[in-house]
Amino acid sequence: MLSLKQVSKYYNTGSNKTYVLNKVDLDVDQGEFVSIMGPSGSGKSTLLNIIGMLDQPSEGYMYFLNEPVHQLKEKQRSALYKQNIGFVFQAYHLIDELTVYENIETPLLYQDVKSAERKALVADALDRFNIVGKKDLFPAQLSGGQQQLVGIARALISKPKLLLADEPTGNLNSKQGEEIMELFKKLNQEDKVTIIQVTHSEKNAQYGSRIINLLDGKIDSTVIL
Amino acid sequence: MIKNYFKIAWRNLWKGRVFNLMNITGLAVAVACCTLIFLTVYYEFSYDNFHDKLDRIYQVYNVANRPKGVEKNSAMPIPMASAFKAEYPAVKYVTRSGNMGGVVTYGNQKVDGDIHFVDPDFLKMFSFPLVQGNRNAALSELNSAVITEKAAKKIFGSKPALNQTIIINSNNEEKPFLVTGVAKDYPSNSSITFDILVRFEHFPQYKVEKNNWDSRSHIVLAEFNEGYNPQNFSKQIKSFVNKYYAGDIKNLKRDGAKPDANGDIFTLALAPFANNHFNNDIGGVEGDAISKTYPLSLVVIGCFILLIACINFINLSVARGFTRAREVGVRKTLGAGKWQLLTQFWVETIMVCFASTVVGLLLCTLLINQFKAMFKSKISLAMLLEPAHLAGIVVMFLAVTAIAGFYPALMMVRYKTVAVLKGKISGGKPGKLRNTLLVIQFTLSTLLIICTIITWQQISYLSNKPLGYNKTEVLSIPVGQNAKGSDALQLMRNELRNNSNVESVSGAYMNMGKGNDGSSMRSVLGFIYHDREVRTHLQRIDYDYIKTLDIKLLDGREFDSKFGNDSTGLVINESMARELGGKNLIGSTLPIMGGESPAHIIGIVKNFNFQSLHDDIEPLTMTMLKDFEINYIFVKVKPGNLVGAFDNIKSNWHRLYPNAEFKASWLNENTERQYLSERRLSGIFVSGAVLAIIISCIGLLAISIMMVVQRNKEIGIRKVLGANVLGIVMMLSQDFMKLVLVAAILSFPVAWWVMSHWLQSFAYRVDIHWWVFALSTALALILAFVTISFQSIKAAIANPVKSLRSE
Repeated sequence: MLSLKQVSKYYNTGSNKTYVLNKVDLDVDQGEFVSIMGPSGSGKSTLLNIIGMLDQPSEGYMYFLNEPVHQLKEKQRSALYKQNIGFVFQAYHLIDELTVYENIETPLLYQDVKSAERKALVADALDRFNIVGKKDLFPAQLSGGQQQLVGIARALISKPKLLLADEPTGNLNSKQGEEIMELFKKLNQEDKVTIIQVTHSEKNAQYGSRIINLLDGKIDSTVIL
Repeated sequence: MIKNYFKIAWRNLWKGRVFNLMNITGLAVAVACCTLIFLTVYYEFSYDNFHDKLDRIYQVYNVANRPKGVEKNSAMPIPMASAFKAEYPAVKYVTRSGNMGGVVTYGNQKVDGDIHFVDPDFLKMFSFPLVQGNRNAALSELNSAVITEKAAKKIFGSKPALNQTIIINSNNEEKPFLVTGVAKDYPSNSSITFDILVRFEHFPQYKVEKNNWDSRSHIVLAEFNEGYNPQNFSKQIKSFVNKYYAGDIKNLKRDGAKPDANGDIFTLALAPFANNHFNNDIGGVEGDAISKTYPLSLVVIGCFILLIACINFINLSVARGFTRAREVGVRKTLGAGKWQLLTQFWVETIMVCFASTVVGLLLCTLLINQFKAMFKSKISLAMLLEPAHLAGIVVMFLAVTAIAGFYPALMMVRYKTVAVLKGKISGGKPGKLRNTLLVIQFTLSTLLIICTIITWQQISYLSNKPLGYNKTEVLSIPVGQNAKGSDALQLMRNELRNNSNVESVSGAYMNMGKGNDGSSMRSVLGFIYHDREVRTHLQRIDYDYIKTLDIKLLDGREFDSKFGNDSTGLVINESMARELGGKNLIGSTLPIMGGESPAHIIGIVKNFNFQSLHDDIEPLTMTMLKDFEINYIFVKVKPGNLVGAFDNIKSNWHRLYPNAEFKASWLNENTERQYLSERRLSGIFVSGAVLAIIISCIGLLAISIMMVVQRNKEIGIRKVLGANVLGIVMMLSQDFMKLVLVAAILSFPVAWWVMSHWLQSFAYRVDIHWWVFALSTALALILAFVTISFQSIKAAIANPVKSLRSE
């Protein structure tokens, strides 16, 4: 479903180019659970952002669901992204001014989903993640684990085919982290959601089906579990 | 979705309530003052627009190209109007118009009234509809009179007015009139004001001057045929002018007048009546013309304040945008489109603007009475409900939200998603736009401060300049319509002879300054002296005038009852002596008032400002000729007990004239009254400057709050490294002080140009000193520094550990 060909990302520092990603080739199939690992500065987050279309590569081609993303216009890319990709962040990035319910609902608003359908979908998600009782609370009133749960519910509300997670357990304690990883595994196996996660933790990486190790902007090794 | 926008907007606004409150305050003040200002301006420009045929009505005036410059005059000779209508085919209707106070008697009822002397065409030209009577026939008889509903109520009460006979006493003549029409009360924005209309044939001196083309006493208004183009008027009227004004042309030629571009020395010209309210150029129009400077400076200041408030709004929104960068980033990852985000922020702007408008309009209702008193404005809030004004408000509202809301929204939408989510929003950069806007704000503020100081200087100069006569201890009493002036003077003299407070009593034709009766008159006369024309102001005075007013006598003597032939004597001022030239003028004869009664000079006085300080001291000749009536009685009292003396003289007056109002005022009150419009302008500048500074400082305060938030970490690090409080305060203020300084310097040339232009209208004026600019700059700098200090000091004394831990 996803294919990167010779993707590079660099910054001009003076007359030199500093490469963050250097000619990366990567293919991800439907239903995979990929973990990207590597030391700080190896380009993990940049790779994830490029896959998530938050960032654009300096060079190279990228195909998503057989669409050439590098050729698409902003509007088409945005539409493709809206319907198919969900994002989960280390810092949760919930909107402070919105309640749990409204945070989960927001992506649907941007996709012009009808009010009745929105209600049903959000109610469903609240139910599924066991946060019905928290729906009227604001993010500041929740624990880190609960906030991340809301973040995941929000990422999944529009039924994306691909879920991207940037160190989803980075700010959580080990027990909360474990619960989130169990949830990811379940989503991957039962709901067939393709997941790509960036992680520092060897243990969390084991939940996936493939581990990609990055070093200095290049794929250093790939381990299939 | 819309509901959602509003909900989120509300929560965001509430979260930033301190900011938004500042925003709303600034904008509300601006809305309130702009509403008042623009209503006033609209009102001033709406003058006379209720006349249906406004665009076809013109006032005739003459232009004389005198050797000393062009002189415009709207006073016309009595036979002119009918000759004009007969000989200039485009004229459809024409009316002469003169104004005078009078006393109306009906039964036992005596009422003061404003009498307007017009021709029958008047009612056909102007839209003063009659509620009773026939418009076409109402003034057809010589003794017809048309009165307004208001006047009818005053005179007749609830009784019918039509076909009643009233006695009008005007100019000491009593005449009966038959009420043939009742006119609907005219709107307050009418230049033509009257209680009673009567035929022009009753105007003073009508019978004597009926065929005299040299005596000019009233104005002439004409309505032209539809589609008339006044462009070629001066060419078409040439033969008419040559025929009837031959004398003027001959005199002008003799004195060396230079013809204008059309080869005319003397010509007639037309002034559109639509511009009547602003026509203070041709000397004498219907009503009180005002200078266009006044509404225009109001518009400029209104726009300034609105601009400053909008700039605040932009700066505040941009500043607040930094704190909301993360939200924008998250929304983008959730699939928000550019327009969706723009709409969201725009909704917030609309809510803030709406709140400001509502608060502003409330402020308006609170302030309108003070405003009306201060600026002599006749506006009412009901004017806001007129469709045109409602539309104006909506347009202004949308414009402000678009200008002030769109740019900050666009700024926020442009943030780079990834950078924002990583928390790397570039908050430290001050931004060229913000600096530019701050400079604009403070340029306008400093400009207004400078204008305030200079107008204030000029006004205090005007009221403190010695005028060459005693203005503190002399009381001026307008005689009014109830008595003949010379009789009244005689009676008052006898009455006050034994009053220990009174030093001397005299009388004159012209007042000094502007009295409580509000009228001003002047009489300019020309005669041939040594083969050239000498023009002089003429003042009829009575015995003891020079003594009463403490005017300095340079040579000769003043009028004295001991000398028998004083009625042919003249007292002249220095300017007149210079104009006549030669030495030993005492005893020389001048052929004033034609050749029949040559008069001789008996005294020369030092120059005194008998006109306002707008004008230089011109030649003045004082006589005791009986042709001019005594209109004002002057009483000089002993210093010390002015209030007591006033009451004393008042009771004397009432003993003589129990029915007449005592409208006396001290001469310094009269001279002050000449500068009302200058005071009004200075009031506008002061209020504008204060508002501009307050709103600008609100904006600066908010920006300094933002800046401190953004530089919190830097401040912490600097403190850890050993910076002291003063050092940090200076560091934080420095950038802003530079901007304010630049702004002040930018305002100098504009302020200098505007104010020196304004000062040109005074013959006597202050110089613009450099320290005014320095003082204004210092003021702006101090205010800006104090504003910033609130935040910078707080940040500087905070514990650095706190700010560093939060990182």
